[in-house]
Amino acid sequence: MRSPRVVITGSGAVCSGGKRPEDIFAAICAGHASIAPITQWDVSQWPTRLAGEVADFNPREMVDDRKLHKLIRRTDLFGLFAAGRAIEQSGVAAYRDALAAPVAAEFSDRTGVYVGSGSGNFQNQYDYFPLLTASGGDLPTFGRELADTVNPMWLLRSLPNNVLGHIGIKYGLKGSNACITNHSCSGSLAVIEGLEALRTGEAERIVAVGHDAPIEPQMVLYYHRLGLIASDTLRPFDIARDGSIFGEGAGALVLELEASATARGAPVLGEVLGGGYVSEAAGLLAIRDDGDGLARAIDAALADAGIRAADVGMIVAHGNGTRPSDASEAAAIRTVFGNAPPPVTGFKWAFGHLISAAGILETTLALTALEARLVPGVATLRELDPDCAGVPVAATAQALSSDIALILCRGFGATDAALLVRAG
Amino acid sequence: MTGVRRVAITGVGMVTPVGNDAATTWASLLAGRSGGGQITLFDASGFPVHIAAEVKDFDQRALQQQLGDDRKLLKFANRSHRFALAAAEQAMRDAGIRPGPDDAGRWGCAVGTGMMGAEYQDLVETHDHAAPDGELHPELLLSDGPANDPLVFCRSNCAAGLSLLTRHYGILGYATSVHTACASGGQAIGTAMKVIRRGAADRVLAGGFDSMISPVGISGFCLLSALSPDNDTPERASRPFDASRNGFLLGEGAGFLVLEEWDAARRRGAHIYAELAGDGNSLSSYRITDSPPDGDGPIQAMRQALASAGARPDDVDYLNAHGTSTGMNDRSESAAVKAVFGAHAERLSVSSTKSTMGHLIAAAGAVEVAVCALAIRDSLMPVNANLVEIDPDCELNFVRGAPRSARIRMTMSNSFGFGGSNSCIVLRNPEEVDGLPGRAHMTGGERA
Repeated sequence: MRSPRVVITGSGAVCSGGKRPEDIFAAICAGHASIAPITQWDVSQWPTRLAGEVADFNPREMVDDRKLHKLIRRTDLFGLFAAGRAIEQSGVAAYRDALAAPVAAEFSDRTGVYVGSGSGNFQNQYDYFPLLTASGGDLPTFGRELADTVNPMWLLRSLPNNVLGHIGIKYGLKGSNACITNHSCSGSLAVIEGLEALRTGEAERIVAVGHDAPIEPQMVLYYHRLGLIASDTLRPFDIARDGSIFGEGAGALVLELEASATARGAPVLGEVLGGGYVSEAAGLLAIRDDGDGLARAIDAALADAGIRAADVGMIVAHGNGTRPSDASEAAAIRTVFGNAPPPVTGFKWAFGHLISAAGILETTLALTALEARLVPGVATLRELDPDCAGVPVAATAQALSSDIALILCRGFGATDAALLVRAG
Repeated sequence: MTGVRRVAITGVGMVTPVGNDAATTWASLLAGRSGGGQITLFDASGFPVHIAAEVKDFDQRALQQQLGDDRKLLKFANRSHRFALAAAEQAMRDAGIRPGPDDAGRWGCAVGTGMMGAEYQDLVETHDHAAPDGELHPELLLSDGPANDPLVFCRSNCAAGLSLLTRHYGILGYATSVHTACASGGQAIGTAMKVIRRGAADRVLAGGFDSMISPVGISGFCLLSALSPDNDTPERASRPFDASRNGFLLGEGAGFLVLEEWDAARRRGAHIYAELAGDGNSLSSYRITDSPPDGDGPIQAMRQALASAGARPDDVDYLNAHGTSTGMNDRSESAAVKAVFGAHAERLSVSSTKSTMGHLIAAAGAVEVAVCALAIRDSLMPVNANLVEIDPDCELNFVRGAPRSARIRMTMSNSFGFGGSNSCIVLRNPEEVDGLPGRAHMTGGERA
């Protein structure tokens, strides 16, 4: 049974590297990393200080509707921004708005939204600190003074599925949907579940989004204590690598059945060929050394897409810069591609690790790379770790070996995702 | 339906405010025994609402025994994760199967996870140390206890529950955690169904878990005036579809199912509760907290679920309603039921088991699908408790007073969440699938 073709008609992104996929990609190609000391709080006394923050962060630029700002958080602003850019580029909402009412309603019912969302933030709970101070730790007083002290919309501001709900409301989309809270694989899974919704006829077009804003004091401190944050530079696959660095932002794609895109004359940026996703059953923080999970995810994606490993023209590695993840990722690439892997790159060195947004943001950039017909270099790479031998990653640009990109993603909970896209 | 892999429910597990296993929960639901009471987990006396439906006498020692060598994993588990581990084990034992070395890669896991954050005691400790004046001083975090304890981070991670389950059972296939507020559990079950149908897994452990009965959890709902303020009559506080309803009763717990590709389940002689036959999933795109009064949104989810099951409205005999006992939800849902079922609505038996066990939030959808599976097995529909005077806006054929005894061909379970996600799950009696009872003795098949 041949699956219908699923094309990409819109793409949006925001991170420290820029506010459009093209701009972020240009910075990568220029070898420019937008990693800098954190500005959201005073880090001068902190043992870890670096992140990829969105510069000149302006909520109004992200979401114009000021009333909405009270109901959502920083991470949601990023998600709504990227989704808005992807929807505008695809022309989906504008096309629907020009249809006659009953047809437009059907169009909305057949348009889904799939979101990968960062969850488990600590900062939103700090809204209870003034109440804890006022009540002096006395719970009955806490309960009595609650309504006078805490924003009545607190729970709504904290919902992990805010981006899903607000995209739906803003653009009038009513189709199948999901909000995936699966740590770093969330964004990739939004694409995979959206792809399946299209293949099975649940929807004719979907908006996929991943968003996160992990740069908050308590989160940064935990990752630091867990030994996951680099001392100065994120150097994937490098012998001197010593950790990852947080980024923040969002990525978004509009996926459509080819028939839907053709019917409305939409621009086609690329095609989603398939995806694979597995668990390593290793617990929350551990991963297997042999890359078994990631190798199985890649195999599943290749089988899903109906292509061979040799057809892949570029690998966008997870490359988060931690010692075990990069070494096991290299093992997985060797397992699947043997001694002839296509050129490998990674993007996190440039703008940090966007956690729930990573996989989908990097997919928007993979599409840009396919369009530009080059595999950008990893500018922070100095010397390949012998543990990562056999991975053709370079500090400078390489040539694509086909118009198909493989995007890898790994998350806490020991999960691995692989996506395959083709240039438009 | 040709070419579509069917999905069987072969295991059921529940930890709820009305029973710490599926059998006890089921007996309570049939009897309409409420799980509501005064909150005992913390001193809630000063809160506008100090009632909830708590899980009672949860046996921590039994959980440790059940986990064996994995009991060390409990340090990564918060209250809701413990419920999940217990309910999942019930479901696995009930199904009589679990992942092994040959098929672990063909097992998946899909869970609806509640909103995650630091637990209240940790939040208080961080406040006292790093924010004594009410505002966080980030430099003080550096010497704060909870902020430097990786276990606090682990217990509050969105993937924590999922990773405990995949690790404990060695599940190596598709494993996902979803959150669409009160629709989470239903969406997790729907995701699992689709994963098996498309062949990405042959068996999935699917469910939901949540516990928001904490000072911060209950505060969020109090601030929205979403909870029933009937502090003196907790067992009557949840009365979905009643004219006098005034909010929901917060519950907690977990529900899990073992799902299997149908033919594989039949081949091994498994007891099949029901076919997980259809999933519908829509966005209301109306307001973050409400469904529209005309049922738009839920209507599409229910129609999709029927289409996904290859069923007509009049094939459905029992609806386990979302029925939260809030004014808006029950009115909107009733309108949606009338729109979808038309004249058949008069014959469709309806009850909300939230009337008895309260609202389990991210676990609700999964628990209520499990309830539907038991209803099909026993040809019994649980009551909508506390329904004295039906709201004229909610005129449906409610199961009142006593459970209704009738063979059930299909059930439907609704779950609608803050944020506007609507989930609808349809189950089919196994006899309606292949003419065989739940426990069929297939030639050459092995008994579970």
